Amino acid sequence: MIAESGHYALVLALALALIQSTVPMLGAHQRDVALMNVGRSAALAQLVFAGLSFIALITLHVTSDFSVANVFENSHSMKPLLYKITGVWGNHEGSMLLWVSILALFGAMVALFGNNLPLSLRARVLAVQAWVAAAFYLFILMTSNPFARLATPPIEGRDLNPVLQDIGLAVHPPMLYLGYVGFSISFSFAIAALIEGRIDAAWARWVRPWTLMAWIFLTLGIAMGSYWAYYELGWGGWWFWDPVENASLMPWLAGTALLHSALVMEKRNALKVWTILLSILTFSLSLLGTFLVRSGVITSVHAFASDPTRGVFILGILVLFIGGSLTLFAGRATALKQGGLFAPISREGALVLNNLLLTVSCATVLFGTLYPVIMEALDFKLSVGAPFYNLTFGPLFALLLLIVPFGPMLAWKRGDLVAAAQRLLAAGVASLVAIAIAWAWARGGSALAPLGIGLGIFVITGAIVDLVERSGVARVPFRTALHRTRGLPRSVWGTAFAHAGLGIALLGIVCETTWNSELISTLRPGDVRNLAGYEIKFDGMTQRQGPNFTEVVSTFIISEDGRQLSVMTPSKRSFATRGMSTTEAALMTRGVSQLYVSLGDTTADGGLAVRIYHKPLVLLIWFGPVLMAFGGLLSLSDRRLRVGAPRPARAARALQPAE
Amino acid sequence: MTRKQRRLTIIGGALFVLAVAAGLVLNALRDSIVFFSTPTMVAEKHIGPGKRFRLGGLVQPGSLKRGDDLAVTFEVADGGAKLPVAYKGILPDLFREGQGVVAEGALDAAGVFKADTVLAKHDETYMPKEVADTLKKQGHWKDDYGKPQAAKPGPVSMREGEKTAAGATQ
Amino acid sequence: MTLWFVFAVMTAAAIFAVLLPLGLGARAASDGREVAVYKDQLAEIERDVETGLIGKVEAEAARVEIGRRLLAAAEQEGEAPVQTSLGLRRLAAVLALIGLPIVALAVYLPLGSPQLPDFPLTARATPADGSQPLENLVSQVEQHLQKNPTDGRGWTVLAPVLARLGRTEDAIRAYRNMITYAGDGASKRADLGEMIAAAAGGVVTAEAKAEFERGHALDADEPKSNYYLGVAAEQDGRKDDAAAIWRKMLSKGPADAPWRPLVSAALARVGGGEAPALPNEAMAAAKGMSDNDRETMIRGMVDRLAARLQQNGDDVEGWLRLVRAYVVMGDLDKARSALSDARQAVKDTERLRQLNEGVKTFGLDG
Repeated sequence: MIAESGHYALVLALALALIQSTVPMLGAHQRDVALMNVGRSAALAQLVFAGLSFIALITLHVTSDFSVANVFENSHSMKPLLYKITGVWGNHEGSMLLWVSILALFGAMVALFGNNLPLSLRARVLAVQAWVAAAFYLFILMTSNPFARLATPPIEGRDLNPVLQDIGLAVHPPMLYLGYVGFSISFSFAIAALIEGRIDAAWARWVRPWTLMAWIFLTLGIAMGSYWAYYELGWGGWWFWDPVENASLMPWLAGTALLHSALVMEKRNALKVWTILLSILTFSLSLLGTFLVRSGVITSVHAFASDPTRGVFILGILVLFIGGSLTLFAGRATALKQGGLFAPISREGALVLNNLLLTVSCATVLFGTLYPVIMEALDFKLSVGAPFYNLTFGPLFALLLLIVPFGPMLAWKRGDLVAAAQRLLAAGVASLVAIAIAWAWARGGSALAPLGIGLGIFVITGAIVDLVERSGVARVPFRTALHRTRGLPRSVWGTAFAHAGLGIALLGIVCETTWNSELISTLRPGDVRNLAGYEIKFDGMTQRQGPNFTEVVSTFIISEDGRQLSVMTPSKRSFATRGMSTTEAALMTRGVSQLYVSLGDTTADGGLAVRIYHKPLVLLIWFGPVLMAFGGLLSLSDRRLRVGAPRPARAARALQPAE
Repeated sequence: MTRKQRRLTIIGGALFVLAVAAGLVLNALRDSIVFFSTPTMVAEKHIGPGKRFRLGGLVQPGSLKRGDDLAVTFEVADGGAKLPVAYKGILPDLFREGQGVVAEGALDAAGVFKADTVLAKHDETYMPKEVADTLKKQGHWKDDYGKPQAAKPGPVSMREGEKTAAGATQ
Repeated sequence: MTLWFVFAVMTAAAIFAVLLPLGLGARAASDGREVAVYKDQLAEIERDVETGLIGKVEAEAARVEIGRRLLAAAEQEGEAPVQTSLGLRRLAAVLALIGLPIVALAVYLPLGSPQLPDFPLTARATPADGSQPLENLVSQVEQHLQKNPTDGRGWTVLAPVLARLGRTEDAIRAYRNMITYAGDGASKRADLGEMIAAAAGGVVTAEAKAEFERGHALDADEPKSNYYLGVAAEQDGRKDDAAAIWRKMLSKGPADAPWRPLVSAALARVGGGEAPALPNEAMAAAKGMSDNDRETMIRGMVDRLAARLQQNGDDVEGWLRLVRAYVVMGDLDKARSALSDARQAVKDTERLRQLNEGVKTFGLDG
């Protein structure tokens, strides 16, 4: 009953989406309030049914109902409860259901919290949202139905892949999806505006909180995915430039550009057409990310051929939405009233440069991701790896980071580069000092590393200088400065945090890649090795019984200058049911650096192959994005993004000061 | 500046950035692209020593030999030809004889493939995709490669079975 | 029936969601306006000027700019008054009332399986009938035990089944766990010892012997231990000891004991005890054998087994024991050739399957 009810709920969600995609659109055209309001209640009902359907699938996984093909193929009665639940979105069908559920969630949020939108805009946004939803409900029901049944239920499920049984993997796909799907809102806003044929500064303000929300989730999702790879895969890498990762990075880059261009549009009524285009592109990249990766097309054209119905359907959806929206864009964009122009040296100018660099670096990633697929179609097999991205994405992003501190320093309309440079003098000096110190201290490693550190410090201190300048701590009496600091809009703090987060992540990346030290060796109990000032003693191995695995736990005693610091216990788990084993690395955190111990096989003569890494400042790599997301959250809580909400008398502020 | 000049500046800037990016991409394509080969393709194409490429195929059963200090040698086969591979380091968890593998490195003068990376991708299936494709083409594909492995003990899982046994007795 | 009722309720809810706003008519919902945004922007400029975040001149310029947008927006809003199109509303209502259920059923009926009930794990645990393949049941029990390795009863059930399936190594582990978690016992030790001996191709190894001795210590009358201690003695070449042990068993044991024929046969094999031991030189010499000699002897036994199987090829257990013996001795080539002999000798398909199943655990041909 649960299975069939879940199935039927999904069908009802499709039916509702079909109504939601037409009736409000008609209503907006006819300016009929009741018809427009159908969008709202239909969106809420759609969330209820999509949610019910998702909950049903979770219940089926939890109760191990193997009469459902999806549960049989992807679950196992012995999985711990947590992984039974997370296993729901660990497979194609379930993840698609999660995807549409989140889509319905965002639709419902527009319906609930979109009170500040003009009625017709909201109706159209919801209708466009429903187009997307209907297409994917159909896709799920026709090609990837999670509720397909087996007439004679097998006794046991098939999948118990131990690599996927991990808490990091449990949380990061939903996060990523919240990001990907969140960009559907800005897409719907863009299409709605194109249909309406009118777009103004207010549009940017309405769309910005949604974009920001999606961006925050995507930032956290990417960071989490990277950390998962780092500790679970056992060799200490945190970014692989693998198509799956690129697929999440590309919408992030485009989304970041969108955030900034929407800012220009809101303040200066400029870059309107570009912002609309970016909204469309960002969501297109999200679609490309989720579906091409999911369908396997991006990893291999042959995978596509192996499941033509699914592949053709996905391709159809992509062509329909990306092609359709771009055609609509081409038709309508010229008719949109152009916004104001501005001097190249100005806040707008800096943001345009930011957009250029972000989109171009996004394009290089897209190229690197698709190039092997294209070449494969021409029968050349090749792989595009880190060296390619280091040579293309790297310099572009470095250039972008260099201009990051200048942006907030420049005034709108007409900026003064010299004055901005003067104010950034402190940041420049700090970065030069950092370069000098890094140069003197560094032994070995790339000559670029100190420059990278200098760049990171420049971005961080640039963000601090921005705050100092705005509060006037250095110039005006302390009391006034305090008053002004308190008066600073939260979005200013948000900007500073987000930019500083970039610099911090860069510091982590540079230090980790340049000065990480690694030791691979065969150890016998009692053996001692030294790495990065730590003394690592292999104490021995013990057996342990886990819930559905047995593990061999190795004990390492870590000491420094004869003082014992910690005991690390990496392990090898064997999962008998699948005849598989996984390596659980052990991490010791000191400050923001980590010692990383991972195990290999035991050799015939009783030794244990061990990989030990010392990763200086590695945690900064993820601390940066977290700080960025926090900055985003601060900005989101700024009341400027909540026009229409009740206004507390003493709430925060204001237009960016046009100094 | 007039309106026209401003517009030109921005367009010029955009073109400049695009040109830089295009230059970077072309430059990178020349140096940093790694081609994928199977042992058969290596034999046919006569890839010279020192040229980096990715080698994919199945680990020849019985060919894995462990030397001192984590040095290992094994053979990669694709049904048509075999190629000896030398690697120093820890093999990934999913590395097994008879399973697919992708190694990156270059041939040395003696015709041995010196690998610096041996890949087991964090994929839901065992088979690196290049290998799977090639095997499919050559007709070596068994459909159950990608499927969850039933607990039919081969030599390797027998060893693991013993580990489990030891674990359960304690 | 319940299912269709649930479907009906859900459909009604969905229809209601569409009809509700249509029925409420033109009650204007809170409607956001562009003007509000620009007014808000103006207010912000005021606040910024107050706090001294921006200068008067910039503020004035910004005000002018926003004011222009404000005017444009106000003009736009005046253009399109709200209308009521009853015809379209009725159409939408019909769409919801008729179209929605039709679409839902048209999509669901070909895809769904309303006749299938749920089949969760809990509902499935009970009908563990004979229709399931043994492997399924075994793997279920094994999984259960992996989660609850201290369940002695589970091991007690599992161990003999594994032994029968020929999964000797697993059976040994299961017996050990059974002893650890379900308590020690004479017959349990004997079963374990038998399994260890089976794994060694029928040779009562020192390890197996230790188990039999422990079993014997727990219960001196336990027949299996006694029998195998006799076998151990026989294999060591101590035929007299073996005969003594077996004779004692026969005299003490009940007359209808099922093991009587076996022990009698064994006794006869070593010469009954009354008759002097056969002048089997190898056996006689076995007492003081070196490891090398012992191996030679074992080989001899294995060869005899092989010879026997050449004549009676249908003995699957025998073949398995032979192959295992070769594997244990590290003679993989012989193991393989024995295996191929076995495959030719065993005619019956069911037995052939047994053989193949058993062989899988040896890891011979992958």
